[in-house]
Amino acid sequence: MSMLLTKRLARSLWRTKLRLSAVVFMVAVGVFAGISFGTYANAASNLYDGIYDGEDGVNLPDIWVENPSGVWNDSTSENLCESISDRWPDSDYSLENCEARLILDGIMYDVDSDGNEKVIPAVWHGIDEGIVDKVWMPTESDFSSGRLAENSNEIVLDSHIALDLKVELGDEIEISSGHGKMSYEVVGIGFQSMHLYFATEGSTLPADDGTFATGYMTDSGLERLANLSAGSSNLILIDVQGSPVYDLQSTDDINENEELTKLVSDISILMGDLDDTPVSVYDRSGVFSVEVLRADAEGAVKMYPYVTGMIAAIAGITIFLSLQRLIQSQAKEIAVLRTLGVPKMSIMPGYILAPIVIGLLGSFIGTLLGIYFGAPGMLSFYEQIIGLPINNATDTSLVMQNITIAMIIVLLAGLRPAWQASRLQPLNVFRGQHEVKLSSRKLQKLTAKLPATVGLSVRSSLRKPMRVGFTFFAVGISMLLFGAMLFMMSSMEDSILGGIKDKQSWDIQASTPIDGEDAVIDWVDQNDGQYELLINFPIGIEDDNRQMMAYGLDKFSTTDDKDSMIMVDLLDGDLPEQNTGNIQVLIDQGTSEFLDWKTGDEVSILVGNDMHTVEITGITKGEISRTIYFHRADLSELVGLESTSVLIELPDEETSLDGLSEITIGYSLKKDTIKTFESLLEQQQQFIFAIQFLGIIIAIAVLFNTLLMNLAERDTELATLRVLGAPMSKLGKMMLWEHLGIGLIGGILGALFAYFGTVLLISSQVQWAFYFTIEPQFAATMTIVGVIAGISIALTPIGMWRIKKMNLVDKVKDLSN
Amino acid sequence: MEINGLQRHYELASGVVRALDGIDINIEKGERIVLLGPSGSGKTTLLNCVAALDSPTGGSYSFDGEDVPRNKSEEMTTFRRKNIGYVFQFFNLLQDLTVLENILLIQELSGSRDKQRALDLLQLVGLEKEVDRFPAEISGGQQQRVAIARSLAKSPKLLLGDELTGNLDSKTSAMVMEVLVKACESEEITTIMVTHDENLSKYATRVIRLDSGKIVSDEKVNQ
Repeated sequence: MSMLLTKRLARSLWRTKLRLSAVVFMVAVGVFAGISFGTYANAASNLYDGIYDGEDGVNLPDIWVENPSGVWNDSTSENLCESISDRWPDSDYSLENCEARLILDGIMYDVDSDGNEKVIPAVWHGIDEGIVDKVWMPTESDFSSGRLAENSNEIVLDSHIALDLKVELGDEIEISSGHGKMSYEVVGIGFQSMHLYFATEGSTLPADDGTFATGYMTDSGLERLANLSAGSSNLILIDVQGSPVYDLQSTDDINENEELTKLVSDISILMGDLDDTPVSVYDRSGVFSVEVLRADAEGAVKMYPYVTGMIAAIAGITIFLSLQRLIQSQAKEIAVLRTLGVPKMSIMPGYILAPIVIGLLGSFIGTLLGIYFGAPGMLSFYEQIIGLPINNATDTSLVMQNITIAMIIVLLAGLRPAWQASRLQPLNVFRGQHEVKLSSRKLQKLTAKLPATVGLSVRSSLRKPMRVGFTFFAVGISMLLFGAMLFMMSSMEDSILGGIKDKQSWDIQASTPIDGEDAVIDWVDQNDGQYELLINFPIGIEDDNRQMMAYGLDKFSTTDDKDSMIMVDLLDGDLPEQNTGNIQVLIDQGTSEFLDWKTGDEVSILVGNDMHTVEITGITKGEISRTIYFHRADLSELVGLESTSVLIELPDEETSLDGLSEITIGYSLKKDTIKTFESLLEQQQQFIFAIQFLGIIIAIAVLFNTLLMNLAERDTELATLRVLGAPMSKLGKMMLWEHLGIGLIGGILGALFAYFGTVLLISSQVQWAFYFTIEPQFAATMTIVGVIAGISIALTPIGMWRIKKMNLVDKVKDLSN
Repeated sequence: MEINGLQRHYELASGVVRALDGIDINIEKGERIVLLGPSGSGKTTLLNCVAALDSPTGGSYSFDGEDVPRNKSEEMTTFRRKNIGYVFQFFNLLQDLTVLENILLIQELSGSRDKQRALDLLQLVGLEKEVDRFPAEISGGQQQRVAIARSLAKSPKLLLGDELTGNLDSKTSAMVMEVLVKACESEEITTIMVTHDENLSKYATRVIRLDSGKIVSDEKVNQ
């Protein structure tokens, strides 16, 4: 390889330093994004591995047996575990541990800055031996401290709420669980495996600061709070021997383990034999908090290659196009060299070396940015959202992996142009045949009626269809980053916020103790409010260990009728009738999709220990969790409960809630739920903006690269027009329309790409616990088109500046372009 | 056009290059001037100054009684648009436009699209049958005739040609020059052509020879 040839190439590249920097930037962004997202994905995976399995780990039960409608007394609790052990089903897995546990809804009381008492919905755990799982108090963490509760007046408060309310060790807190307020001393601050994702039951969103609490006391401590006899329980935790893979986020299918499914089913049957109480038996998939974290980690691991791959592909495209342009502009020089006898193999290495140098420079910049800014930023954002301590440094192998991927793509992108350079035929080049600039007859006919200026713009823009095509493709990918955020956020806003604001008219959802709804109804009447009773009950599916939530509604109405406190958005079918031969139900779109259940189907569901057949009369949309709607009266017959909570509409916002906490085991306010989502959006704003900014910056770099190449290619043409007296205003207008055209087409394609890409991405990410659809959004589509058209138009002044500073005399003679 | 003491000096590290060093010329309407001289004599620089493509560093020159603008890009462009037609050595036709569209484009950019005139000009240069062809589909001589028609499209007062036959064989050169003379006579356009080719003198009414940035001879011919 001749040093002089390489030096010449380096100088040529340096002359195009503006475009060169766009290409280096693209490689840097690819490596930066890869390191940032990869660190996040690794952290998400390692975190849960560490919590459940690591040295400080707390294990995760394998099977939960829940009594949703009441509490087992001391002897039943003990008998159940003994019987499960004695009659352990025939399975590959043997029983490791069985532990009865008491978990109750309740309230934590706090005093706000104005001195007013604040009621916070809570879940209290009474942990006896803590053999199946225990409170997680990682050592050397700022997030946890103290010790486990040992006495009945002590509590370990969850780190999330302790941080929100600034509770410290030794503080006294007031809590209740349907039987009056009591004081407990905070002796520890930590986490629990069922509340790592800190959200209220049934909520898909992490609780806003200070709106949800959990605490872990001794079993006697919780029995004292709830006025229950010693040894009471409502949950049996079962651990099977070993650490089966289904404890961790390592499988594609949520219902991944046939043996476990069978075990769940067998234990369900066994429970039916042992006790009349309807129970719900489920594995990890039935614990929303656990499932969300697993889905999140799995999603991060799945998304990481997509995101980095997309950015790397854009980098590859820009390098490919830039090198092609470079070779085109140097065609005559190459032809001269070839004529003078320089062999092909002397021409090619330089053009391979160029992308390698570009790739190394971009990788170096991207690595520095990724290690020092991207990865710490992503981890800090993640830590902020989930409130768990993350100690994950960027992995050297991850850095090497990203650099290697970037270098491979860069090299592949450079190979074809280098090969083309070496294959240039001198005679063809001298005859001007190396590059056919002729517009097609078809295009000429199509644009013949247009003014020559417009015709020229159209034909010049389409002169290099491959370049335009690749540019649109790259812009489309960059818009996938930008647009996915837009589409996802607006669809989520519609789904979650719209689901609460428009589809639910209640102000308070009050959880009642068994048969405690009358007291709440009296309270509502005294306060001139309206109410509806609601049953929430987890139900199972025949031959499937997944859980869904049944809603028993007093009244059914659609979002058009608005005649009930919880409305449904019917996608298909009709509202169910009450007291028909078969129980009629509605299911949500996600359930329909995952289980292939359709309107009109009769399906088997497991309520408690009994299988029932229900008829699906319609499918609803907008539910993120898997949901089945019953008439309350129908569901009540199946579960033996009148209600689990009361939905309350207050006459006005000023109505005092005094007395409500004493007669409920907790309540949540709709405004808090809305605030939670709005606060989550606000929290994520920075991250969303960062991703959108990345998308826009990439789109700018891609369009800048292509439009500048288009202009450079037309230097002689434009200089000729200037010599012939074309005013800058007219050329500027011509360029403006040209850029607007490219921008609009690119924008429309970008929007389509973003929409369908997001739909594909989301469909690959949805899981049983988190189903979500992307709706076409006019505003989001227009934003994408506007952004691309805007970027394209904004590059016009650069083109005009370029023409202005052109040496016309030199340019009109330069026919190498 | 009146040119008095025109200078174009370039300051380089190696010293001052005097590309034009005191040129005095008066050009009358309808004259066909051929500028001859060896390479580096300053003929193209003079043509560029006359075309308002380059700005002289000294002297004065006016066209139709008004100073030719210098150092102001847009004013220079306007001057060219109003007064100058230019024919390039390598034709510089826009490859994406047909023969007819190449002419229409210049009219549009000058603000006066006139398809009939474009067709008339193509007839004048003998290319009425090639209107819908692309430049790459016609010969070099034909391309140069299109370039001549294009330069006449906006009815310039002065037509400038820089080695306009430099890329053509002698037979085609003759054909192009005949077309040019015919077109300029019919449109009453003054012409200045820079060339190395002594043979082109026969199409001129005046031949000016330059060397080292100075006029060495200026004679009227073929009157």
